[in-house]
Amino acid sequence: MTKENVEAAARAALEDVLDPETGISIAHLGLVYAVRYDVETRFLCVVMTFTTPACPAGEMILEGVQRRLGRVDGVAFVDVDLVFEPRWTPARITAEGRAELGWPPSPAASP
Amino acid sequence: MSRTLASQYAPSFSLIKAHFGAGLLGMIIFSVALVLRASVIHGHFFQPLLLGLVHLCVLGWLMPITLGALHQLVPVVFEVPVRSERLAWAAFALYVPAVTLFITRMWTLEVDALLPVSATAAALAVWLYAANLVLTLVRSAQRSLTGACVITALLYLVVAVTLGAMLAWHLFVPYLPIAHVALLRAHAHVAGLGFFGLLIMGVAYRLLEMFLLSHGAPERAGWWAFGAVNAALTFLVAAFLRAADPTLSALGLAAGIAGIAAFLVQIGAIFQRRMQRYLDVAWLHISVSFGYLALTALTGCLLVVVPVDSVASARLHVVYGLVALPGFIGTIVVGQLYKIVPFLVWLHRFAPYVGLKTIPSAGQLLPELPKRLQFVCMHLGMGLLLVGVAVDAPLWRVAGASAMAVSAAMVVGSLGFIFARKP
Repeated sequence: MTKENVEAAARAALEDVLDPETGISIAHLGLVYAVRYDVETRFLCVVMTFTTPACPAGEMILEGVQRRLGRVDGVAFVDVDLVFEPRWTPARITAEGRAELGWPPSPAASP
Repeated sequence: MSRTLASQYAPSFSLIKAHFGAGLLGMIIFSVALVLRASVIHGHFFQPLLLGLVHLCVLGWLMPITLGALHQLVPVVFEVPVRSERLAWAAFALYVPAVTLFITRMWTLEVDALLPVSATAAALAVWLYAANLVLTLVRSAQRSLTGACVITALLYLVVAVTLGAMLAWHLFVPYLPIAHVALLRAHAHVAGLGFFGLLIMGVAYRLLEMFLLSHGAPERAGWWAFGAVNAALTFLVAAFLRAADPTLSALGLAAGIAGIAAFLVQIGAIFQRRMQRYLDVAWLHISVSFGYLALTALTGCLLVVVPVDSVASARLHVVYGLVALPGFIGTIVVGQLYKIVPFLVWLHRFAPYVGLKTIPSAGQLLPELPKRLQFVCMHLGMGLLLVGVAVDAPLWRVAGASAMAVSAAMVVGSLGFIFARKP
């Protein structure tokens, strides 16, 4: 298991964690700022945010992230670091997220 | 985790369920009562039938749901726990029997001691609610447009129920030096525009941004709306207490219209910046409710120009009450229920499975079709009812009330279906 493989698997796993209101994954909403894996300790750290600090589902989303990442191969420990700097803005929504929200792909996201 | 999560401040699910359950029961009783009495709705608004219906609608249906929603919303949005959940339960335990007794006395307008006593008990319950929520809000570090609207709305709520209790005592033992109907108008507008109006405005700004993923809308129009609604209430109450002074009435109406216009501009700015393009039935209800709000303002304008003692004025008063209460406020309450109830059920039943298996989103807990049918039924019913009152057509009124009763049953059925969902 290389660092890159585990981080890619973790990012893919985060696509399974959905925002309950929009039904869109937190990854596609751009809530995940960073995923870091340490091969030696098998420790995975995720830095993420919410669309608003007053997110009513915040606690459940964080627990869901912990549970889902705990099932990724090679991960022994998970830490979710919740931050509100920088603040989330709609500009962080990915092309997939925009499509799920009903928007046409932005020119920058076009191949 | 670096900070306390806002969601951890939410009160117990049972507190919210109790409020929503009482409100939904009130909605069903109001709907049935409306069907039974729709054929005889006519004449001046100061009569047992209409006063009973109005209080059943407001205190039985709209108020418990609104107060329950506030208990859920305030701690999460303002990131502070409810001051006392025990006090919230005590207020609810007092509210339900007091309001039940009060409405039964209102319905028949039996002016015995139970009328003012039950009104005072209901007012006391609301004072406890309001005190609990104001003490909750002042502990929050947030100072915002929504906070200003919610705190001011709660203060108007206290004034409205106090006026209501005073009016009930005045019916039992006349003691007020001013006309009963003048104070009744002040009571109704402080409750409708002051409490419900400002509360809906403040909450809408925050919830629309949150649910529609809308960011960066300037709040200037929202602050203008806040100022204008407060000015409108000041002028209108002064006008009512000075025998419908035309200048004060006109100023109040102008400020009210300006406030509603500014509110709609603010909502438009939030909608314009939304990232969530798909608008489900909840949003359709909320959008339609703004139409009822505009219609309320229009009816208010007509009431000023129509001769006071005319038949048209009597009918317009009923139309005014209908578009404002079951129309504007009732529609927005139903729309919010379709947002809040699935979310709460998801949070308490489905969330523990996030990351373990595929689960539906909150919006997927109920198919769209029943919600759409209910939407059509409710607003078709409102339309028929309004026309039936405006042209005094009893059959139209009964048909409209029946459609609204079916719609109420569909709301309860849909929410019951959601409550029964398991992962």
